[in-house]
Amino acid sequence: MKFTIRKTDIVDVLSKIQGITNRKSNLTITENVLITSTDSKISVAATDLETGFIGFYPAEIEIEGIIAINSRKIFEIVKNFPKDEIIINEVENHWLKIGNEKVEYNIVGSNPDDFPEIPLVDDVNFFEINSFDFKKMIEKTVMISAASDEKRAHILGTHLQCITTDEDESIIRMVSTDGKRLSKVDYIFSGKLSTTELPENIIIPKKGLNEVGKFLDTDGIVRIGIKNNHFIVKKENETIIISLLEGEFPKYDGLLEIGEKNKVEVVKQDFRMMLKRMSILTSDDYKGVYFKFANNNLTISTANPEIGESKEDMPIDYSHGEEEIAFNPYFFIDSLNFIDSDTVFLFFKNKENPCLVLGKDDKTFLSIIMPMKI
Amino acid sequence: MIIHMDMDAFYAAVEQLDQPALRGKPVIVGGRSKRAVVSTASYEARKYGVRSAMPMFQALALCPQAIVVPVRMERYQMVSAEVMTILAEFSPLVEQVGIDEAFVDIRGTQTLLGDPRTIALAIKTRIRAAIGLTCSIGLAPLKFLAKIASDMQKPDGLTIISPDQTAAFINELAIEKVPGVGPATLVQLKSMGIRRLGDVARVPEKQLQAKLGKAALRLTALARGLDDSEVMPFRPVKSMGAENTLGENTSDLNLLKKHLLMHAERVGRELRSGRAKARSLQLKIKFADFKQITRSTMLEKPTQSSESLYAAAVQLLLQTRLPKPVRLIGISASNLVSSATPVQQDLIQGEAEQKWEKLDHTLDSIAERFGNHMIAKATLTEKEK
Repeated sequence: MKFTIRKTDIVDVLSKIQGITNRKSNLTITENVLITSTDSKISVAATDLETGFIGFYPAEIEIEGIIAINSRKIFEIVKNFPKDEIIINEVENHWLKIGNEKVEYNIVGSNPDDFPEIPLVDDVNFFEINSFDFKKMIEKTVMISAASDEKRAHILGTHLQCITTDEDESIIRMVSTDGKRLSKVDYIFSGKLSTTELPENIIIPKKGLNEVGKFLDTDGIVRIGIKNNHFIVKKENETIIISLLEGEFPKYDGLLEIGEKNKVEVVKQDFRMMLKRMSILTSDDYKGVYFKFANNNLTISTANPEIGESKEDMPIDYSHGEEEIAFNPYFFIDSLNFIDSDTVFLFFKNKENPCLVLGKDDKTFLSIIMPMKI
Repeated sequence: MIIHMDMDAFYAAVEQLDQPALRGKPVIVGGRSKRAVVSTASYEARKYGVRSAMPMFQALALCPQAIVVPVRMERYQMVSAEVMTILAEFSPLVEQVGIDEAFVDIRGTQTLLGDPRTIALAIKTRIRAAIGLTCSIGLAPLKFLAKIASDMQKPDGLTIISPDQTAAFINELAIEKVPGVGPATLVQLKSMGIRRLGDVARVPEKQLQAKLGKAALRLTALARGLDDSEVMPFRPVKSMGAENTLGENTSDLNLLKKHLLMHAERVGRELRSGRAKARSLQLKIKFADFKQITRSTMLEKPTQSSESLYAAAVQLLLQTRLPKPVRLIGISASNLVSSATPVQQDLIQGEAEQKWEKLDHTLDSIAERFGNHMIAKATLTEKEK
């Protein structure tokens, strides 16, 4: 195998697949990237056995061939390479020579026959979605991540479903939770989706979605499909395929309802900075801050016996009964970072019930945050 | 001046108080099994050489007529609480150091209550009148001397080391009486010719430090009459635990689990009454050959629920290889956080644990009102086979 490729092309793809190849799997070969050269292009494939990637890039092929090479090492080599064109050459038996007359690396690869097959799914009923919106949706759901030892599907994965609203419009909804808070993001899809395009109860691993996010452009469209328990995202030259998680996602429809909660309006930036200042005195053992709603005033305070106390007031429009509720301030900060609206509504009831956070001008993104027990 | 109050033969004295038939007789508080040890012996039994921590068979060989009664820890704790309440009448600075002893700092209360000797006598009188038990009191300008003094005339003693006697007392004090001097240190000290605390001053500090390390600093300070330890009313609790030596060694996992359940309930109750939650749990096992191991785990979230403690303990037990039968099993909850700390509630799951916590609180209030054995988990109510 021998080919010449533009540095920017290979660096770009290798940087995006590091997340896949750096993840520990049961096979050490998945630390490798599989490079195949044919005709006038190369293909680059990576997998962590749950998320697979394959992409095609133009190259000048001298000798066709295939090689599996350590993903991180080849990435570091090409990233810092001093030329715009890079020659990659398999000199003998899995040994790869990268370089030109001045710079030369010889690194050893693995047997490409050991590389796990990336499942190829045909006849997928793809539907199209705006790439930028989809990228944002993913960010808003994967911000709620799962602990490394988590096993429950509904926490490891994001729920995807389609809600038909009327004849020519549907809502594609993604929901993510860690059991303590929940993110709901809607995408208005013009047209109807059938269950062959988007079946019910789809749970997509957040790890895989995170990788998808890296490949999505800020403009254009991207194709999405579901087939044989795989979630497939297709761009022109690149495809990501993720094995779906098996399991039941808990019913959350009731949580999304505002019901008889009190509504308070805050300026996002002020509220966010207030919480950031409040979080200074939190620690692993004392994460909670107290929200006190009373007499047109919101008082947020912390009391950390190991560090000290802080308190801050913010005028609000609220004249119902006094409510004191403890929250993890980081949950709010995370959500506020993704709310695309200068004014934010908080819907709360009491210390037993979750608080809903919604942008005034962005009804597609709703955060639901459970209080801490005082 | 600082008072050290030590109840006389506490467990045995409480038994004699509760059961008049035992008064004036040699009483041994302890277990009945073949491997039990003496918890406390009454003074009548001590005359025969019976001592705390002595194997029961040996104690009974020395004093065959002794009456052995079982340990009733809850009752002792109740009496102990009464004693501590009385001490609190004399000073806000009371540091309880065990179930039956405490330091009281009376430096600020003398204008109110009289000179130290009067206060010490008043404490003794109050405890005898209100509870019916005697105690021994040491009175000294330094904490460590007060503790030594309370042990000098037992039972029902009062030993005063006045400030102007302190230097002479330290000079003559047998080195093994100094708190913190154990058998190993004692050998080292004797090799340097130190027999009394006063001798310490005659040995160059460097030489002492070379042999004893950090402990040398404390000893030289004490020898000069300097003890910077204060009476600490609140001693932060670092862990809460429960363990027991089994009636017979066993490898039966079900039986071991049953003991864990018992310990988890006890520790859970202690956590709840201390308003604390534990973040980690340790399992302790001593095997038939006295080899001891501990295994610990971080809990998913801070808990005071007996059920969660039990689940974690069982998991540790199942992960532990048991090469020999188990002689002792216990758990201890540590890494405590105040339960006043807000704890994240679950949005979707975890109702199960909250239910258990509610159940625990109900069980606690029943146990508090009617005693510990009125209510228990069904698996604990079966008689041990």
